[in-house]
Amino acid sequence: MDPSALNSPELQHFINQEKEKAMVNEMVAKLTTVCWDKCVTGTPGSKFSSSETSCLTNCAHRYMDMSLQIMKRFQNMH
Amino acid sequence: MDSFSSPSSGSSSQLSAQDFMGQLKTQLAQAYAEEFLETVRGKCFDKCITKPGSSLSGSESSCVSRCVDRYIEATGIISKALFSMQR
Repeated sequence: MDPSALNSPELQHFINQEKEKAMVNEMVAKLTTVCWDKCVTGTPGSKFSSSETSCLTNCAHRYMDMSLQIMKRFQNMH
Repeated sequence: MDSFSSPSSGSSSQLSAQDFMGQLKTQLAQAYAEEFLETVRGKCFDKCITKPGSSLSGSESSCVSRCVDRYIEATGIISKALFSMQR
């Protein structure tokens, strides 16, 4: 590939899009491992109980709340 | 990364931006899948193989099957939860 093509707007757009996808992917993966450990305590059954399902949903939401709180806390520090 | 290559049918030896993007997409998908697999292996080993014996028992392997299904389901639940937050 012609190296100058790396500066093409098309390619830049593509790379930014993939970056964003990677970030979302990473976030979902990270939250899944954290919430799995918190919410799925027994041996995995053939389906999730309703309490496991709501624990997973709540876990994701609270993690985001907490992240926001921590970010704000650090912004107020200096 | 050694596997970015021009399609053999192409007359020029240069990789077009289209081909480059396509190959990048494929490689990224592969990397995501590998990482996911590695995570699932770790989680399900912790859950299902608590006392490694001389072979994988029937109950261990059925635990592993359920564990894999539940982990995939959990990933779906989490991503739904994240997207429903951006209201």
